[in-house]
Amino acid sequence: MDGSIILETKNLRKEFGALVAVDNVDLRVQANTVHAIIGPNGAGKTTLFNLLSNAFEPTAGKVFFQGRDITHLPTHRIIHLGIGRSFQITNLFPNLTALENVRLAAQALGKDNFRFLRAASHFKRYEQRAWEALNLVGLTDRALMPARALPHGDQRKLELAIILAPDPKLLLLDEPTAGMAAEQVPEMMNLISQINKTSSKTIILVEHNMSVVMNISDRITVMHLGRVLAEGTPSEIAANPEVQNAYLGKLYGDMKKREA
Amino acid sequence: MNQASISPSKFSSRFKSFFRGNLGGWIVILAMVLLPFITSLISGQSISNLLANESGMAKFVQGLAIEIFILALYALSYDLILGVTGLLSFGHAMFFAVGAYLTGILLKSFGWSLWATLGMVLVAAIIQAILFAVVLPRVQGVTFALVTLGIASVFYIVIQSHEMSAYAGADVGLQGVVAPEFINAADHRMRFYFVTLGLLIGMYLLYKRFVNSPTGRVCIAIRENEKRALMLGYNTFYFKLIALTLASITAALAGCLHALFQPIVSPHTASMGFTIAALLMTLIGGVGTLSGALVGAAIYRLLEYGLKNIFGEQATFLLGVVYVLIVLFLPYGIIGTWKLRALQIRSGWQRLIGLVTGKPKQA
Ligand SMILES: Nc1ncnc2c1ncn2[C@@H]1O[C@H](COP(=O)(O)OP(=O)(O)OP(=O)(O)O)[C@@H](O)[C@H]1O
Ligand SMILES: [Mg+2]
Repeated sequence: MDGSIILETKNLRKEFGALVAVDNVDLRVQANTVHAIIGPNGAGKTTLFNLLSNAFEPTAGKVFFQGRDITHLPTHRIIHLGIGRSFQITNLFPNLTALENVRLAAQALGKDNFRFLRAASHFKRYEQRAWEALNLVGLTDRALMPARALPHGDQRKLELAIILAPDPKLLLLDEPTAGMAAEQVPEMMNLISQINKTSSKTIILVEHNMSVVMNISDRITVMHLGRVLAEGTPSEIAANPEVQNAYLGKLYGDMKKREA
Repeated sequence: MNQASISPSKFSSRFKSFFRGNLGGWIVILAMVLLPFITSLISGQSISNLLANESGMAKFVQGLAIEIFILALYALSYDLILGVTGLLSFGHAMFFAVGAYLTGILLKSFGWSLWATLGMVLVAAIIQAILFAVVLPRVQGVTFALVTLGIASVFYIVIQSHEMSAYAGADVGLQGVVAPEFINAADHRMRFYFVTLGLLIGMYLLYKRFVNSPTGRVCIAIRENEKRALMLGYNTFYFKLIALTLASITAALAGCLHALFQPIVSPHTASMGFTIAALLMTLIGGVGTLSGALVGAAIYRLLEYGLKNIFGEQATFLLGVVYVLIVLFLPYGIIGTWKLRALQIRSGWQRLIGLVTGKPKQA
């Protein structure tokens, strides 16, 4: 067992009927790194995340976290091991305040979930954690707004605060900048890089825009049609002719389509 | 500045804010406590006559109020699972009916004491909550509604069956339950009134605390987005089980009071219609507000009583029309709409103050 591998998949496979969304993926993620998974629309990135966070049961294959087989653990156990997952499509508690969204995330890992005769405000430490996480993403002055009333960019930040609150070892971020205005993207990427450096968390980051992840990733895995097309450092990936062919060719095709 | 001068003012401000925050509630409680005395004075009955349980308007009004309190307990329990936890159950009447029938049968046919009966009702309430909960991991949303309707329908048929008729009185219902003398509502109407009122207030405060506790907050999160709650690490099943259990106990307690108070426990209390009554009361008052369930129960019973008095049998149709109008014009219910308005007015004031003082305030 390699001590520095935090997450590993073996022959991971997911079929939806005839469609193979994830096709025998072997992934090895080093601890304390930023590992990007890129690929065009429909490559199977989100499906892979759903398998890693046990939202889906795989058709075949296994997932190991810190050497432990977690393939068949129920979804709600995953976070207790130290894996936090954010969503491509904003997935919040819309009518609760930003603070309460994060406070619930902090409370989940404590031992007070079944205290029903005391007010939640009595348990200060969870609120404390929530404020810290909100502060990290820069949302403290909007903490008391209901999540649904936040601008989209702030909702993405809130999503990040929610998974930071329980202090996980591994963050799975599914297109954290999805739907963000272009000028907000660097800020988010800096934030993610910061989190990786200052608190030595491992980050697996899904993106479909290659240029966004070039600067902050230690390693990049390229997916295409459910398969791993290539893996390597950003410069290796940028120089890989196969990637350029399949991935950039696809992008070029998309551009053509848009022009037409 | 010395310490002594601070603490009394701090105490009084805390005292004031405690009352200001709950002012409406305190007024209602006070009004309910005074209700028997006020009605007896209005109707020209002396207080000593009232205390001697003499019939008259005061006794009648207390009876109507007791019915409302019982319905309010029942509606409150429905709001906990529908409004707070987001579970749509169509079998809620069963929670009530089990409490009512069990109380009647144990007291009448088995001669149990009231306390033993209450203990048994509690056990039965927990068992039926577990029965409803076991299907939860397998079904969701509308399917849960249909499964609970199925379970309750079976109970509805069984309770009217020929085999059970010696105990449950078939389709006529359970008659001749005699409540223990010390709480008998015919002889001690006012005592029963205050016991019911006390239980309602106690339960309401417990519910208020519950929805604000760590457990209750998770129930709200489940209503908002269960998948996300799971992803945060909550095993949502247990929270739904707790909400169902608390609701089941409350509804069974309401049923128990119903059996002690009414001369007859009708199979209607186990029917789909009575579940819809719970739904209506919470809708009228405002889903998820808790206090709305109490307001809804009062309006529901008073409307029914008033319209039946004036229009006789045509009232049922009119009631339907009124409910449709309420739901159309107050989609968040009375309390829900009122809270929304209060919020709008407050933020309007803040904006105005912000304009005047030149310091715009975040909403
Ligand atoms: N629950 C599902 N049922 C059936 N098919 C699915 C399901 N989820 C995903 N798919 C299919 O699997 C394939 C991979 O989808 P996935 O969402 O994983 O792609 P992605 O790489 O995340 O794409 P994007 O960049 O658009 O987010 C797609 O063809 C998609 O239609
Ligand atoms: Mg995706």
